[in-house]
Amino acid sequence: MERTRYLSEEWAAIAGAKLRAELDPQKMNKASASMSNIYERCSDGVDRFIFIECSDGELARFEVGSGEPPKAEFRIHGDYDTFAMITRGELGSQKALMTGRLKLKGNMAKALRLSSLADRINKVLAGIPTDY
Amino acid sequence: MPYDLRPDSPYWIDNRARVRGLQEAMAREGIDVYLASRPRTMSFIMDAFCPWRSYLVVPPKGDPVFFTFVVDAVRVADETWLPEDNVRAYAPMGGQDQVSAVSCFVLEELGLSKGRVGYEDGMSTWTPEGYLSRYEYEAFRAALPGFDFVNSHELVDAMSVIKDAGTIARFREASRQVDEGHKAVREAISNGGWKGLTETVIGGIGALAMRRAGSVSEWNFAGLNEISSGRRTALGACTPPTTRPLAAGEPLMVDLHSMHRLALGDHSHNYLIGPATKAQRRHADNFVELVRTVLGAWKAGSTPSGLAEAMFERAEALGCSDFVVPGCEHGIGLFGDEWRIGSAADSPLPYWTDPDHAYAPGEMVICAMQYASPADGIGFRYENPIVIGERGVEPLSKYPLGIEEV
Repeated sequence: MERTRYLSEEWAAIAGAKLRAELDPQKMNKASASMSNIYERCSDGVDRFIFIECSDGELARFEVGSGEPPKAEFRIHGDYDTFAMITRGELGSQKALMTGRLKLKGNMAKALRLSSLADRINKVLAGIPTDY
Repeated sequence: MPYDLRPDSPYWIDNRARVRGLQEAMAREGIDVYLASRPRTMSFIMDAFCPWRSYLVVPPKGDPVFFTFVVDAVRVADETWLPEDNVRAYAPMGGQDQVSAVSCFVLEELGLSKGRVGYEDGMSTWTPEGYLSRYEYEAFRAALPGFDFVNSHELVDAMSVIKDAGTIARFREASRQVDEGHKAVREAISNGGWKGLTETVIGGIGALAMRRAGSVSEWNFAGLNEISSGRRTALGACTPPTTRPLAAGEPLMVDLHSMHRLALGDHSHNYLIGPATKAQRRHADNFVELVRTVLGAWKAGSTPSGLAEAMFERAEALGCSDFVVPGCEHGIGLFGDEWRIGSAADSPLPYWTDPDHAYAPGEMVICAMQYASPADGIGFRYENPIVIGERGVEPLSKYPLGIEEV
């Protein structure tokens, strides 16, 4: 697989296909939820987002874009560099949240039940050869 | 256990009606959103046990949203009547600390940007009242800059004075559980069984029996079951049990606490461990007579000061007024509501019970009386939840009043 630039159109196409192929609805606990990761201070000065929506454990919608993301049950804000470190496996998402480098909006009680699912999504995305 | 009450249950409380009642009171007072922090408010609205620092946000319309420490949110969601999504957690994470989570809900989910926030402030004789701390107050004010903050706990307090049928039924069951505890203690100490027992063990015997009868907690902040013996019975109205062994010729005070669906059992019974002296017997008989006097005088329209006068008048006649501790009651409600009589705090001394408060039908208090003769090393306590009626009161613990020699 050729390397693509993080959050580019090519990267988004690969990520969407890979998530649809590799996420097992059973392992996703047939969960229905939506989440926006909002990447602040990207290198070109633009804020970008990844929007993920699962329905009954299957990927229903995956979008990468700039500006205001679609309305989601959970919104995670943070610097581009922080998200990049998480995707490269250099920083745990829990630690990023617990140190305030990422900020979560949404029902924390439900987020806890879904945290392992978010980890599975991150693992899939981490398998894409990426330039940051 | 999961919330399972239906309207045909004797323990049913119409929690949504309570919320609507609070929202009507908010509208009358011009409160746009109510931010509760006291355990008594959590119990009253959530109908669930909420021991960790929690916040309840009551909007002008619709169901409230509850925030608690992340370790306990899932359990509370399982046990409250509120929909699961209305139970939220706060946690040490960016955007999820308590102030961020609550203020984000107010600003973004409720869509409010200005108005009046009702919050809970005051002072209390007991530690865990749960008023908003100064730090929390300042932090919420900073996070909600368009809002005026108004102390509004009276809205909840006024609603919780008169108990509904479901609440009284819960208290009745909690008192039945306490009575089972007292039966077990009596059996344990009778016929010389007291030998080798300590105050703490007596508390444990009562606790086990109450748990077997269905109680879920000894709830009391002053040492769970309060047990004292010997000279400790004369040390006042707070007696966390110690490892002191029971001894012949001494008084024993057994104050047991149970909890049933957040309603609190609280009955204190007294013994003389034989052989009792004539002076001890006289003190005991005086105290029982004083309790009978007060219970007999209590009815709707009575006041705390009027009952105290009746108690002291009888004590003068009995020649024991030097040993009577002032006061005949303390407030009671669902868990967290255990001290001040829950009416408007407009008494001469703010945040103390109004001595001229006129009890109303359907009101509940703990009849709480204390007698102490430090010189004789003897004291007694009577506590019993009572429901106040037009012509008298119903003591909910049915354990026979008396001080027997064992």
